[in-house]
Order: sequence, then structure tokens, then C-alpha cells
Amino acid sequence: MKNKYIFGGIIVTVFLSLMIYLFTQSNIQYESDFAKVIEKERTVKATGSWVKEKHYELDKVNRTFSFYMKDEKGQEMKVVCNGTIPNNFESATSVVVTGEYKNGYFHAKEILTKCPSKYEGEKVKSAVVM
Amino acid sequence: MAGNIILTLAFVLAVFSMLMYSFSFRGVKNTLNFGRLSFHLTAMLVIVASTLLMYSILTHQYQYGYIYNYSSDELPVGLLMSTFWAGQEGSFLLWVLFAVIIGIILQSYSAKREGLEPSVMAVYSLVLSFLLFMVSPLLKSPFNFIWMEEIFIESTKINPAFFNLPFLQGHLFSDPSSGQGFVKMSKELYASLQSAGISINEFIINGKGLNPLLQNFWMQIHPPVLFAGFALAAVPFTFAIAALLKNDYKDWVRQSFPWVLAAGAVLGLGIMLGGYWAYGVLGWGGYWAWDPVENSSLVPWVVIAAVVHTMIVQRKSQDRGEGVGRFAKTNLILSILAFILVLYSTFLTRSGILGDSSVHSFVDPGTIIYLFLIILVATFLLLGSGLIVYRWKYLSSQTKYDDNLLSRELSLFTSAVVLGASALIIFFGTSAPIFGVGVEISFYDEMHIPLAIIMGLLNGLSLMLKWKENSGEEIFKKLRLALILSVSVTLLTVVIASVYDIVMILLAFSAYFSIFTNGEIALKIMKGNKKMLGSYMAHIGIAIFILGVIGSAVYSDEVELDLVKGEKQDALGYTVEFVGYQPIENNTKYAFNVDVKKGNSSYRVKPVMYISSFNQSLMREPDILEGFLNDVYISPIGYDDGTSHAGHGEKEVSLTPGKETEAEGVKILYAEFIRPDMGVMASGGDFQMGAKLSVKGYGTAKTVDLVLKKEGEAINYIPVELKEENLRIILKQIDPMSKKADIVITKLSGSMADVHEHKEVLSISASVKPFVSLVWIGTAVFVIGFFVSMFRRLEEAG
Repeated sequence: MKNKYIFGGIIVTVFLSLMIYLFTQSNIQYESDFAKVIEKERTVKATGSWVKEKHYELDKVNRTFSFYMKDEKGQEMKVVCNGTIPNNFESATSVVVTGEYKNGYFHAKEILTKCPSKYEGEKVKSAVVM
Repeated sequence: MAGNIILTLAFVLAVFSMLMYSFSFRGVKNTLNFGRLSFHLTAMLVIVASTLLMYSILTHQYQYGYIYNYSSDELPVGLLMSTFWAGQEGSFLLWVLFAVIIGIILQSYSAKREGLEPSVMAVYSLVLSFLLFMVSPLLKSPFNFIWMEEIFIESTKINPAFFNLPFLQGHLFSDPSSGQGFVKMSKELYASLQSAGISINEFIINGKGLNPLLQNFWMQIHPPVLFAGFALAAVPFTFAIAALLKNDYKDWVRQSFPWVLAAGAVLGLGIMLGGYWAYGVLGWGGYWAWDPVENSSLVPWVVIAAVVHTMIVQRKSQDRGEGVGRFAKTNLILSILAFILVLYSTFLTRSGILGDSSVHSFVDPGTIIYLFLIILVATFLLLGSGLIVYRWKYLSSQTKYDDNLLSRELSLFTSAVVLGASALIIFFGTSAPIFGVGVEISFYDEMHIPLAIIMGLLNGLSLMLKWKENSGEEIFKKLRLALILSVSVTLLTVVIASVYDIVMILLAFSAYFSIFTNGEIALKIMKGNKKMLGSYMAHIGIAIFILGVIGSAVYSDEVELDLVKGEKQDALGYTVEFVGYQPIENNTKYAFNVDVKKGNSSYRVKPVMYISSFNQSLMREPDILEGFLNDVYISPIGYDDGTSHAGHGEKEVSLTPGKETEAEGVKILYAEFIRPDMGVMASGGDFQMGAKLSVKGYGTAKTVDLVLKKEGEAINYIPVELKEENLRIILKQIDPMSKKADIVITKLSGSMADVHEHKEVLSISASVKPFVSLVWIGTAVFVIGFFVSMFRRLEEAG
């Protein structure tokens, strides 16, 4: 009985502490208020939606992809990502970008686009009577 | 309506069956047959309801909201059938359907074994009752009529003959941003239609259709396999709870074992089919993204894999006459946990709680569903943990053994612990977003590399250990051949594939070690009893899988290319050429032909792009040149036919005074803001404002004014052309308060020349992924291994 607990105990303790250490090193807060994102200047997961009217830009020379995002309050910010446009970007209903705000724009390391997928039926939000 | 009645009846009968079976378990006479009968009736009703839903889908019965939301007339039969499980309601029904089919098998399985049926079927009926309640008309029935809740239906889906009906006018809406017209369906409108003698099926003539991402072959395979795995995971749970109820811990392990293996095989297969779908069709670039939806189904699978190891020990220990056997508590806890984690996964993915952290998006299903899902998880968690606590003392008195440090028992237990650690890590990372905190993908990777190394070494080592006791010398003797082989192959890998990362070398070594030790034994067994091959195959499969992961994830190369039609480009050791495109699938999609050449062999890869009518957006599908050594993965980014250059080769930037940007080697500095006359501006007179730019290019530095002019009613943005620098600068917007200017910079003559040449350019992302094939081969081998083991344990189940 003892061996079992010592063995199992050591493995679990080692991995738990490793996990907690890594977690404290790499945990990222979600932030849906861009005013705070801009103010904080630290790595966050910013959630909002793509400002379709402002389109997006693919800079072929520097290989960057940039677009504008806005939060629920309507605050906008520019997002620049190294790399290319994620698949299904145009149909995204909302966007989650991971990175930090520096020098006037958001440097995104990762872009997560959410599309109306199998568990969602699109809803018409702003319909008006004809 | 019939569908809802059937489902309600099925729910009532399932509860009745649960009660009858529990009475029978308590010793009440003449109840067993009622339990059986009602269980079979429940099963039949669910099968009838599923058939009815499938029939209604195939015959386009858009009066059902579910069918309107997920299918359409245009879908081919195969995809039309897959809309059965395209939404929450239908996929729950699919789960229930598998649960009753498995229930029928479980009933006959348990009826054959003395005294097993009442307890097992009572627990299983309880599980089934909960699942059936989920699809009841109160919660998520796929048979709820479309007018029960208010919904906006696109006017294109409405029969145009009815548009001028007077009572319809108050129900017409339009979306100002898209100009799309809608009819608001409600109970009111339904009543008016009925009194006018119009059936709802004449009124709604088409459905919304299936999301294009789901329109492919894998949609027809992956969800059913996954839900079959979910349904199977309930069986080990059932056996464990039944054992706790009976307070008898000997036979259940033997009886439950084949079911555990079946659940592991099917769930594992389902998960990896999803991985292949993501890789081959969705264009995620990889097969695993540590996405919460993927993770949440992986956690129960890892727990199932863990319990397989400790169950082997308990079985062996029972054979030696050690009472209930070792690890009785561990096995009970893990069997219960696996199913609770399946329910937890359902909670995570269906409640909308992970809305912001997953590529899969979920609609908020409403408070009632949210509450029900919490109740579902909590009920089974309390039931399981309560019984364990209740029986803890007795269980502890039954299991008092110590295991030798070098024994197969302890190494199997350690394997279970390592798998448990993996489950815990994924569980933790996936649940973190509930508390507003996320983890990076590297968190999972970094945690799993050491775990995978330990798993591989342990796996090889444990096979060489005898039960009970071993001497170190003996073990080394047995391992010698495998050690020599794996060291040499690792060295070969280092030299040939230039793998210099010490961690990867260790990981590769541990995988080789596992392959050789298992392979050595498997070869011996081949001559004897082939049924014993299962575990060796499963382990070799996992090891092959890990080698595939090392190759494809760590040593993959990626580039982005702009391919001009007819011009060859060298990239990643291949010569790539875009040779043109052609419409496919009735002109709804475009296939872009890319020739990939290496040496004398040439292959054609055809990534696809199209504008989907479902969501009006550009969809991209990758194409893969699959090979054993590596995959060439071509993902389309965009296509430019060369006739219009709007938006191409241009750069848009926002600048504030003092900020600088660079385009085509030219530095552009926003020197100062050109202030408008505020007084004139306020009184509505003509004014101009803008940005004074300092331009420094190849020639002399100069200053230009980029302004907007208000003249009368018109506001004109005056572009600046710089002949020498070959640039045109356009002011898009300027804010007098913050002085921020949005400008667009384009090339002057380059674009003009392009127009005459009509250069067609296809932009792609190309990557070479070594040994992805091993990921699929490994998965196949380990799934087959699980099934082989299942048949072996089925024979032993008595």
C-alpha cells in the first residue's frame, strides 16, 4: 500500500506543481473592455467584434494582417497580427485576439474567429418594421 | 406533434422502468418483467422518434423549427441526413438513440448473468431518463414547431404567392444593414395563416441550410461515432454504481471490462475523426488545437485509458485469490468519473459558458437549459461520490496490499496516475475560462511532453516486469534487445533528420523503446494466442502516434506564397506553379489548380474557395498532397484576377502627428496637423484640414499636404500623387480632436502596368508536415488494439 501512495504521490505532486507554475506564468485574462486593454499594456485575450466597414488589410511586404475591432461599448482599436488572415475570418460573428496593446495598436499573437457554427442559429438583431 | 408525444412517453416509460428495476433489486416480486417491458418500449419509442425525425428531414417538414434551422431543399441526401445531428436538439436525440441501442444489448448481457440485471438496468434507466428529459418538449426537443418561439425567417424562404396577404404586412421586417427582408414567425401569425387555410409547410418553402463548414463527408461520420462513444461511457459508470449498491466488488470488474474497452475504442476513434476533419477540410492547419470542445471529449477518454490499466491489476489479483482484488476503489472512482466527465463536457459545450474561448461557437441556450445541465452533472456527481463515501470503510477493509516497487502492479498503477495527471491538466486548462482566465496552447504542450516521455518508458518497462516481484538484473536482460534497437534508431533519427533538441530526442527514444518492447512480445504472441495482442497493438499505436506528432508539430515548415499564374516558384524543396482555376459543383465553388513538383514527379493539388450563400462569406478549403514521409498542405488565402487592383498591394495606416510609416521603401512622416478654421467650420462655411506629410524616399525629401476640402455641401478628399516615389496617398478619414489620420498608400505605376498584363495571382499558405501519416496510422492501430482486447475480455466476462 505504501509504495503505491509514495509513487503516485510523487508523480501527482510534481505535475501539480509544474502545472501551477506554468499556469501562473502563462495565464491570460479575458477582457471585453478595450479601454482597459489599451490602458493595461499587458497580454490579454481581448474579445469583441470585427468592424466590417473598415475592412481588413493584408500587408504583403511585412506579412501582416490587420483590422479594426470594437467592444460592446463601441470603443475601437486596431489589431495587427503577424501572419495571414485566418480561415473563415469574413464570416466571424466575434473575434478573440490574444496579445498586447503597444504603440497605438494591438499586437495579436493569436486570432480566434467564431463563426455561426452547428450550435447556433443566426439571429437578426436590428430588424425594423418595413 | 406526434414526435413530442412519443418522446414524452419514452421519458415516462424510462422513469417507470427505472422504478420497476429498483423495486426488483429491492426484492419486490413481479417487478422485473415490468422493468424489462418498459425499457424495451422506451427503446422502441426512441427508435420511432428518430425515424420520424429522419423522415421529416428527408421530406423537408419545415414546420419543425429544428429542420428549418439546419436543413434545406438543396442539400444532397447524405448531408441532408447529417442535419439530424447538426444542432443541439438533434445531437441529443442521436445520443439518446445510441443509448437505447446500447441499452438493449446491455439488458440481454446483464440478463444472462445471475442477479446482475435489476441493479445495472435500474442505474442505466436513470441515466437514460435524464438524457430523455433533455429532448423533452420542455427543453430541447427537435420536434418543437417553428411558431412556438418568435423567429425571423428570411423572405427568400417564404412562398412568394403569399406576400400580398393583408395580415402578413404587420409581420414583415427588414434589416437596414443588409437590406434583407424577414417574416417574423409567431403564434399570432400561425393563427392567422391557419384561419386563412394556409398550412405552414406551404408557407415556408425552404430551410436555412447547413453551415458550409459542416457540409462534408466527415460531418456524416464524426458526430455519430463520438456520440456512440459518449453513450458507451455510461456503461462502466452503470456497472460501478450497481456494484456499490450491491456492495459486491468482485464480479463487476470482469463484467464491465469489455464495455470499458469498447467505450475507449469508439470514443478515441470519434475524437481522432474530428481531428482529421479539422486537418483535411476545415483548414485549421493541424489535427489538434487544444480547443475546449476537443479537450472536453479527450478528458473522459484519458480517464477511460487510465482505468483500463488498474482494472487489469484488479482482475489479475482476483485470479490469484486476493478477494476483491487490488485497486478496487481506484477502479470504481475512475469508472464513475469517466461518465461524469462526459456530462461535464456536455455542460461546457452546450451551456454557452465557453463562448469566448472556442472556435466552435455556441448560442446561449437559455437559463433553463443551463440549469438543467448543471443539475445533470451535479446529480451524477453526488450519486457517485455519495456512494463511494458511504462504502469507503468497507472497501478499505477489503483492500490491504502492498506492491513491490518493481512489480507489474505498481507500474500499471503508475501508468494510470500519469494518465490521470494528463486528464487533470487538460481539465484544468479547459475549465479555466469559466473563471475568466485562459491558458495558452503552449501550456498543454509543455505539460504533455514530459508526460509522454514517462508514458513511453513506463510502457516498455512495465511489460518486462512480472507480477509481484522482479530483480533488476533480470529486467535488464529482457530489455537488452529493445534498448539496443531503440538507442540505434534514435541515433539514426538524430543524424538523418537532424533532430538536435534534447527533449525531442528523449521523446522519440521513449516512443521507439515502447514500439520495440511491445513489438518483440507481439511477434512472439503472433505464433500463439492472437487475442492477447490487443494491449501491445494499442501501445504500439500510441507510440507511432507520438512519433507522428513529433514530426508534424515540431518539424513542420510553412511559407506564404503569391503565385502568379504560369510562373514557377521554389519553396520548401518543391517547385510550385499556379496553372488556373475551374468551377466545380455546379459553378458553386472554384478549384484552384496548383502543380507541385519534386524531381521528376508532379502532382496537382486543388484547394477550393467559394462565396457561401449561407453566410455571404469567403470559404477556403485546403488540399493536401498526402504521403507517407510528409504531407504538403496547401491552404488558399486569396485570389486576384488582375483586372481590378482595389485593395491590392495597398497599405492602410492610422497616424497621429509625429508618427511615421513606411511603404515601398518610402518613409512617410505625419509632420503636423493642418488645422481648420474653427470659426468657419462651426458656422458651416468652407474649410480645409489635413495632414502635412514629410516624405523621404529614393530621391529628395519633400513635404506635401494631404487635405480634405469642404466646398459648399461637398467634402472632397484630395489625394496626393508622388511621381518620383511611385506612390499615391489617399486620406480616408481625419479626426480634428485627436488629429488622427487614416491614410491609404498605393503604388502608382506598378498597378497601372498590372492592369495591362492581367496577372492572375493566387495567394496560398503552403506547409510541409513530416510524418502526419503516422498520426493516422497510429490511431488506427491503437483503436484496433482496443477492439482486440475487448473481444478477449468479453470471453473472460463469464
